[in-house]
Amino acid sequence: MPGLALDPRDIARLESMSVRARVIVEGAFAGLHQNPHAGSSIEFSEHKEYAPGDDIRRIDWKAVGRVDRYYLKRFEDETEMRAFLLLDASASMGYGREGPTKLAYASYLTAALAYLLAQQGDPAGLLIFDAETRQMLPPRTRGGHVRDVLGALDAVYPAGRTDPARALSYVAEIADRRSLILLFSDLLDAPAELSDRLRQLRARGHDVALFHILHPDEIELPFDELTEFEAMEPGDDRRLLVDPRDLAVSFRKASAALRDRWRRACIEARVEYQLATTADPPAEVLRAFLFARQRGRK
Amino acid sequence: MHFLAPSLLLGVLAAVLPALIHRIGRRRARPVRFAAMELLMRADREVAARRKLRDKLLLIARTALAAALPLAFAQPFALVRSDLPAVTGRSQSAVMVLDDSASMRRHGPSGTPFAVARDRARAVIEHLSPDSEVALVLASEGTAAPIAELSGDRPRVLAALDAVTASARAADFGAALRRATQILSSSTRADRLIYVATDLQAAGWGGVTAATLTGVPQVVVMDASDGVPWTNRAVLDLHAEPAPEEGAQGLAILAEIANFSPQPVSRLGVTLALDGAQTARGFVDVPANGRARKRFVLTAAGGHQADVAIDHDDFPLDDHRVALVEAARGLRILVVDGDPRTVRTEDETFFLEAALRAGGSGFSVTTVLPDQLGERDLSAYGAIFVANVSRPTTAAAAALERYVRGGGGLFISVGAKVDADAWNQTLAPLLPQPLGLARSAAALPGSHTDGETVDLRPAERLAPFDRRHPLLSAFPARGEGLASARFFEYMLLAPVPDAPARRTLLRYESGAPALVETQVGRGRVLLLTTSIDREWTDLPIRPGFLPLVQEAARYLAGAPSGEATAALGVGERREIPLEPDERRIEVIRPSGDSRWLMPASRPDPRSRRVVVFTETDEPGFYRVRAARADGTIADRPDASFVVDLAPGESDPARLPDDRRPDRGGGRTGAGPAPQRRLELWHLLGAAAIGLVLLESLLTLRFRRGRARA
Repeated sequence: MPGLALDPRDIARLESMSVRARVIVEGAFAGLHQNPHAGSSIEFSEHKEYAPGDDIRRIDWKAVGRVDRYYLKRFEDETEMRAFLLLDASASMGYGREGPTKLAYASYLTAALAYLLAQQGDPAGLLIFDAETRQMLPPRTRGGHVRDVLGALDAVYPAGRTDPARALSYVAEIADRRSLILLFSDLLDAPAELSDRLRQLRARGHDVALFHILHPDEIELPFDELTEFEAMEPGDDRRLLVDPRDLAVSFRKASAALRDRWRRACIEARVEYQLATTADPPAEVLRAFLFARQRGRK
Repeated sequence: MHFLAPSLLLGVLAAVLPALIHRIGRRRARPVRFAAMELLMRADREVAARRKLRDKLLLIARTALAAALPLAFAQPFALVRSDLPAVTGRSQSAVMVLDDSASMRRHGPSGTPFAVARDRARAVIEHLSPDSEVALVLASEGTAAPIAELSGDRPRVLAALDAVTASARAADFGAALRRATQILSSSTRADRLIYVATDLQAAGWGGVTAATLTGVPQVVVMDASDGVPWTNRAVLDLHAEPAPEEGAQGLAILAEIANFSPQPVSRLGVTLALDGAQTARGFVDVPANGRARKRFVLTAAGGHQADVAIDHDDFPLDDHRVALVEAARGLRILVVDGDPRTVRTEDETFFLEAALRAGGSGFSVTTVLPDQLGERDLSAYGAIFVANVSRPTTAAAAALERYVRGGGGLFISVGAKVDADAWNQTLAPLLPQPLGLARSAAALPGSHTDGETVDLRPAERLAPFDRRHPLLSAFPARGEGLASARFFEYMLLAPVPDAPARRTLLRYESGAPALVETQVGRGRVLLLTTSIDREWTDLPIRPGFLPLVQEAARYLAGAPSGEATAALGVGERREIPLEPDERRIEVIRPSGDSRWLMPASRPDPRSRRVVVFTETDEPGFYRVRAARADGTIADRPDASFVVDLAPGESDPARLPDDRRPDRGGGRTGAGPAPQRRLELWHLLGAAAIGLVLLESLLTLRFRRGRARA
């Protein structure tokens, strides 16, 4: 329901990351009678306590009779989905104007997904990276783990250059079983070998999704006066004094080409691609992602 | 470079403003730390070249505009050496004589000499000091002066100068200088000058001698040809003559072609067109500075408009010439027998027919009675002999008059049957002189009978005659063949005033006319005042009778009217007589436009009505038509005429220096060349306008590009 999906600026005004995550998740599932993320299988595995959005057809009424609480039957392929949330915290992710930065926006989405996974009982890990791995929280299912994740997201800051391929390589090493790997990055300076990494992860059976986070300025270049642009990433001292209106058409083409390039790379690697700008309500993005996954399963 | 308002040059400092504004603008640029720098740099690389070029062009245009405006307001000018005569700078009374003669219409490397001359005349008039006064006179003969009095109204003089076009007339500098001198005589100024803008073709200066230049103010000649000689080829003459080798209707058209060049011309193309249709083409070799004749022979009947053209050169006006030519109507002769007899030898026309049919003459003779004359189509006959007809009918008289006016030849011989009063009444327009009484000079041999008084008076003989007439040129010097003829009786003619169209070719020893010729319309009439048989003379049995009759027949049948085909010079007036039933005359010029002319009222109703056509400014054929009283319009071939270019205009010979009016007696326009001011602010103004347009265009494209963005 778009009416319940809060604007990113409203989200930013919320007091903590855990609140933000919950609000986003609730916004994504508001009015829905079925958790689009849950699948179905023939082989029963375990019970899971009912959460809003879960399919009520799968409530185990016998269990309700026994313990007077609502439990859902869970099947083999839904159990123990380890998830790795990879957040690009390089300096370029710190760009933002009239709203949250790309890093903040990506944090909201990461937090919401971490919260959602915890709700489902899936262990979720967090990897914050720039050119190096800055912080790693391995996937766990214990009760306080999600708080650690949200706390790390609350404290994240933009710095350094970026290397998502390296982060993916790292995850590939530690993910010893089939996992869900979600990468949040603006991909502005991502190396070409990122495509290879994505293909390798898919080849190992991992479920991979790429959240391409951009600011609207990086799509439209809406500046209308003489501007001196400076690069954000450390070590990049490029400057450009220009009237942006002269470049707008060419810039839009280049930006579209960048998005198209990564979309194609994801399609080729059978990786889900989700474009999000910092102007999009995070709940909508989350809902679109979950629905796309549900469609993919069916 | 000089400036009228140099203080305004300070404004040129404004030229730094665009660059300054540009720099300030750069400093005020908003800094933005941007993540998608790589995309930005890629976009910049794509448009950088075009953007930098546009920015530079804009900066240059704005800088140049900021500099050009104060420069233009400072009114810059340069002093350049003038090619005008030095004397133009003085305060003076001046007459500009502009050569508008035909030769000025030739094409030269820098346009026509006329255009050059007019430009120089304009430059002089514009450069004269403001208090000078000037008149404008044209050099072509018979042309009115556009500004015939000294005038200080410079725009009016310049407008009149601009309105002048080169004519086809001949130049007459004698008359032009006289006119200029007359105009300047009204001036009291010390400096009185005559400027002559001309190509210095010698032909127009024939009337200018040292004597005629006495009293003429200072003359300054401006040579429009800059002394560059030119060459020319021209058709100088065109006429027709019989071509017996082609038979009775043989016609030879002769063109005289001149080569005014030190180089001979070989295989020069010559084309003959008859009545507008190309009829023949040939080639002719013309020696250097010489002439050649091209003869076209053809068979034709009646009158034609002949146009001979040569391959064009730089002066096309004289590369063709038009003439009206008339071929012989053929050798069909109509004899009207006014006194037919049953005995052939006694017939009035026995000897005449015998002479006309004599071997090898080629005449085809038809004899009719007088009352058959009105029924015949007379135009088919080359000549008509009317012999001893007592009184022509009205119809016959009208037919004869039409025939003669249309170019026919009529031979009238008298005799005992002729009623002089009747002839004078019905055929007065055709008779050279009214017929009078018959005079007996002597008794015919053997006519007296015994017992009567014998007339011992000797018969009349012919007086010596002038052999220059074509009819008589074939006779020996002393007139053998005619001198022996005796005339016993003849008809006297009533005295009339002399007329140029009438000539007495033969006279009796008594002085009375024997053979009189007159021209009527385009035709001719010969009147023999005695009989054509042996009734009044023994001429028919004399040796001269046969050649006289045959030559008369050929002359009447083949000779066109001299007046009808005579060409006028350009600018000459043409008098066109009206027939009694004609009300108006239309003259169609070579260019195709026409003029209707009404005859002026006559002080004497008996005098002939005429119209005068004066617009003969174009060489070529002028067709004449007449509007009759009944409303019909008919051609008047007899009045049509040709206007020719004066041959002198074709001759490129240059006036020798010693005959130039500005080279004698130290009267020259030479001296230190004056300087003239060349205004530059127009140029700068135009440049500023161009820069504004460029700047607007660039800005417009710039904005459109942004609007698309």
